[in-house]
Amino acid sequence: MHELSLALQIREICERELEKQPESRLTALGVEVGAFSAVEVETLQFCLQIVMSERFDGVRCEVIRQPGTAACSSCGLEFEVTQAPFECPSCGALARGVSGGDSLQVSYIEVESER
Amino acid sequence: MSAERVTVKEKVLSANDQLAAETRARLQAEGVFAVNLISSPGSGKTTLLECTVDLMKPSLRLGVMAGDVQTRNDADRLIRHGIPVEAIETGGGCHLDARQVSRALTTFDLSNTDLLFIENVGNLVCPAGFDLGESVKVVLMSVTEGDDKPVKYPAAFKRAAALVLTKTDLVPHLQFSLERVLEYARSVNPDLAFFSTSSYTGDGLAEWTGWLAGQVAALKRS
Repeated sequence: MHELSLALQIREICERELEKQPESRLTALGVEVGAFSAVEVETLQFCLQIVMSERFDGVRCEVIRQPGTAACSSCGLEFEVTQAPFECPSCGALARGVSGGDSLQVSYIEVESER
Repeated sequence: MSAERVTVKEKVLSANDQLAAETRARLQAEGVFAVNLISSPGSGKTTLLECTVDLMKPSLRLGVMAGDVQTRNDADRLIRHGIPVEAIETGGGCHLDARQVSRALTTFDLSNTDLLFIENVGNLVCPAGFDLGESVKVVLMSVTEGDDKPVKYPAAFKRAAALVLTKTDLVPHLQFSLERVLEYARSVNPDLAFFSTSSYTGDGLAEWTGWLAGQVAALKRS
């Protein structure tokens, strides 16, 4: 619900990074979004494209989904999870807890310079 | 022309997290245990708080921050129970953030507070993503919301220390499985403490307030 304000904060982070290399032009950025970050990926992608294009013409916005990890309560198998319910792909039992998938960070930017 | 990829790895909410860390350090230094209460709208946060305050006020010094999109209605209800209350109106914001909590904190006498409740905006999605500097997050769900809530909104349940089921007096009128709630909740977070309560009948409130008192005592000992 607050993806637009997240997109604005992402743009600020990019702008701060660019200040370190004022001769460069931003061409792309990558944002890592965890499965349990409480962020709607498609909405963030939509908002990012709008707010980034306002300042950086033609910039490419990549949203990288980071899955979480679950352990099966029955057979103990560890498996990646992105969506509930968290059922074991091997035996079908529910997980006993999920971990990871909390990321919400600007992973990289790509810049071009005349040099 | 040269192109280059620069690794950034900066958290989007780093400004919020920084403020939250400062709040946490302040609360810790003053020996205040802070509970961030998260739930959907209408699950009974304010009513549970009213009952909790009445039960715990004789033995502990309490305070409440009441977050809402609009109105001071919840804060007004809680003030009547004779404890310090600060309303935070977000004016449309879907969650409380560390800046709002940090500002509201200045209105409390922390050296005379043992237990501070932060009633988040009614929303089971966004509040899960924002650290406020609390000691623990506690998630509430009422029995009318359906027993699959923990897997529909896993982020809140994953980060919570406890789950408080509310309005259990209504169970006879519903198709609701307590076993399924627990099974789903523990599939997300096996360490969740669990309380089954009714603010209407008072069922389960002693266990809930007992757990809170234990948390406060543990903090004072540390």
